[in-house]
Amino acid sequence: MRYVVISLVFLVVFVTPVLSADTSPKPRITDIHGEAKEGKAKVHFTLRNAFSPEMVEALKSGIEISFETVVRVQRHHRNWFDATVGKITFSRSVRYDVLSRVYRLNRGKEVDLLPDIFTALAGMTRYEIVVPLTSPVTPGKRYQALVRTRLDKVGLSEPLRSILFFSSLWDLETEWAIGAIAAP
Amino acid sequence: MKETPPRRADPSPGKDLARRRRERIAIGIVAVLVIGLTILEANLAAVGGMAFSSNIVIFALINLNVILIVLLIFLVTRNVFKLILDRKRNILGAKIRSRLVFIFIAFSLIPTILLFVAAANITTTSIKSWIGGRVGVALTNALDIVRGNLEKEAASLSGVADQAASAVLRKSRKDSLKTSLEKSRKGSSPDVSLLVVGRGGVLAASGDVTGEIATQIRSRLKGEEGNVVRGGVMTFIGESYASAVRRLPDGRAVVAVKTIPRDEANKIRDIAKAYDEYHQVRLLDDPIRASYIATLILITLLVVFAASWMGIYLARQITVPIQMLAEGTEKVASGDLDVRLDYRSDDEFGHLVGSFNRMTADLKGMKKSLEDANVSLSSTFEELRRRSRFIETILTNISTGVIVIDRLGRISMINKVAELILSIKTDKVLGKPYKEVVREEHYETVRTLSREVGETPGRKVERQVDLSVMGKEISLRVSVTSLQGDDGEYLGLVVAFDDLSQAMRLQRIMAWREVARRIAHEIRNPLTPIQLSTERLQKKFAPLHDRDPAFSECTQTILSEVESLKSLVEEFTRFARMPAPAFKEGNLVEELRPVVETFRAAHSGIAWEFEGEDIPTVWFDPFQIRRAVTNLLENAASALGGQGRVAVRVAHEPGLGSVRVSVRDDGPGIPSGDRDRLFEPYFSRKEGGTGLGLAIVSAIASDHQGTVVVRDNVPRGSVFEIEIPVRPKRRG
Repeated sequence: MRYVVISLVFLVVFVTPVLSADTSPKPRITDIHGEAKEGKAKVHFTLRNAFSPEMVEALKSGIEISFETVVRVQRHHRNWFDATVGKITFSRSVRYDVLSRVYRLNRGKEVDLLPDIFTALAGMTRYEIVVPLTSPVTPGKRYQALVRTRLDKVGLSEPLRSILFFSSLWDLETEWAIGAIAAP
Repeated sequence: MKETPPRRADPSPGKDLARRRRERIAIGIVAVLVIGLTILEANLAAVGGMAFSSNIVIFALINLNVILIVLLIFLVTRNVFKLILDRKRNILGAKIRSRLVFIFIAFSLIPTILLFVAAANITTTSIKSWIGGRVGVALTNALDIVRGNLEKEAASLSGVADQAASAVLRKSRKDSLKTSLEKSRKGSSPDVSLLVVGRGGVLAASGDVTGEIATQIRSRLKGEEGNVVRGGVMTFIGESYASAVRRLPDGRAVVAVKTIPRDEANKIRDIAKAYDEYHQVRLLDDPIRASYIATLILITLLVVFAASWMGIYLARQITVPIQMLAEGTEKVASGDLDVRLDYRSDDEFGHLVGSFNRMTADLKGMKKSLEDANVSLSSTFEELRRRSRFIETILTNISTGVIVIDRLGRISMINKVAELILSIKTDKVLGKPYKEVVREEHYETVRTLSREVGETPGRKVERQVDLSVMGKEISLRVSVTSLQGDDGEYLGLVVAFDDLSQAMRLQRIMAWREVARRIAHEIRNPLTPIQLSTERLQKKFAPLHDRDPAFSECTQTILSEVESLKSLVEEFTRFARMPAPAFKEGNLVEELRPVVETFRAAHSGIAWEFEGEDIPTVWFDPFQIRRAVTNLLENAASALGGQGRVAVRVAHEPGLGSVRVSVRDDGPGIPSGDRDRLFEPYFSRKEGGTGLGLAIVSAIASDHQGTVVVRDNVPRGSVFEIEIPVRPKRRG
């Protein structure tokens, strides 16, 4: 009897999540490139497949969507561990203002009020980030940027947060993506 | 249908405690597993590249739900199966426990499920009605009105913005931007401000516009950069402002802003917020419902779980003392009074168990008292029985016959001697009224004795009574004593009697011996002179009377009679001077066999039979016994007259410690009237008999402490029996 129960528990705990895994395209980071010089690295990258139709619909309904992104700049060693020379973590969020009919794209320091969703989604998926480096860049050496983004939070209104406090509406998390950084 | 008795449950409470401890440990392990599994899931998700966000809580709760469901199913199923098994095995208390558990679960499950269904329906219906109702329309309309008003306000500012733009473009070198704005603002509402915004920010401002509003307008301008605006004026609205923007050819923009009062701005913000929430609810309709239902399911499961557990707990609380009481009662019924139920509670069950414990303690005390009393009674009974046996032994061994008659006149005891003397069997008379047992001819004697006992002051009467028992006359010295209790109550009679017949016979023999001795003495003395004188007369006067035969005949007669008298005197002398027996231990059968063989040779016409059992050695005088048997055989041969059958049998009587020699013939028999005097001297029916033969037999038997009796042989003839003890008692 007890073995049957244990088997059921493992079935429910492990097998069910795997079976119910989302089959939609996975979000990923692409087009990572940039340049490192003078104590900082400018990194460009694009987040693809980040917004599902449901998320777009939710965005239009006034739900704030926030991404947290980690960018790590490393000096690559062929036969040794790669050394991190710079790292930055930042958030970017977007919310639709139904009154003024603009999308508020929060880049951290400044807020852009964008008249259409395409511009807003572009602001959430195209990045040009400056990463301060902790060690000087050696020209000619090989540098790389590792980028990962995940859904930080979904800004629901207060009553809904209390109702759906334990549920996550969408999962979004990319794997670490790597792209070469030029060091002229 | 035969109902099997209920079985006891597991008698060991320690096992139950251990089982509960194991259950608690199992629950702890399950809890740890939940946490561990959640962490493991999270790690697996990260390692396997699966998307992972802030959903640890939901994983944990899902797992918790699953575990709770599994636990609930497991516990309920386990308990239900256990109850079913207990019922099948007829375990004590299983029936009532199963009923209680069923009732508790049913009473909790049914309303909980009903409540769950109702709550789920209400929730779903409420959400649907809220989403699909007029709330959405109202909110949309409200937002449209607000937006329209703000747009109007913004449009009304277009002229102000145009004027201000013209003023800015026309301003002289002396005037600053701000002065131009101030001039343009004259005549406008006080809550209207004017701004000049360039690429680097606000270049000049006139009025009380906040920095936040200025920033928003600048952001809007940036967002609209590059867009072609019909009429050249753009309007921007926000929660707290409405504005009109006129772009200048040099890239700058002149903005006329009207600040909405704070209260109004708050209301606008609330409307916008409500609109947002409404659309979010509409969008998240399914997750919200799922969330509510999940919460309801969780609560329902917890309620059902708690109710089931409480039901089982309460059922156990009720049935455990009942089960204990039932088992205890069974033990008490089987005789175990050391039962103590270990159950403490302030409720009625605790009181009941306490009463049961007191009852068993009282029963044990009473049992102990009873056992002590029983031991005492047994001891007393044993003592009484011992005394009774002692008295019985005495009564058995004494030579006096004893009969005890109870107060109802029934014979309650009779000893062996009484049996022998009266020739009765104890088992035939014991317990019967003596009046039924006593023969008719003796009844008057007994009645007289009984009456005399009642009339005598000492309640004791002694009489000599002559009775005829089995054709034999016996003399008894009878002592009848009335038994009385301490309170004078009549308890019955004790009749003790001694057989005087033998003693009287001995007395008669002794008397006859004395008579015989004296007669012999008196007769023998003159016989010799008579004989001598007669012989002298014959010798002297016979020749003188040879012609007269009378002389010769008379003298010869005298001489023959004298000779007869001499032989008679000799017999008398022999009877009178019979010596005391010289006892020797020997084989009586072998001693008597030659005697019978002698008679067989002498009387060939008679069939002589001899039967000797394997008897023990006997102490006897061989000469006297041979003589006694010879006398009996002579009498038998004489009675048969040369034709007939004589059987001699020597038998052992172990119960009496004696041997019996019986001589049986099929002759004419002894008349009953002669039997009383048969063994007396000089009684003879034979012609020429001295009448001393049987007297001598009787004397020899008496000298051997035995008896001789005669009775009728069946179908004819007579039987003489000499009975002597195997080992005679010493006398003197």
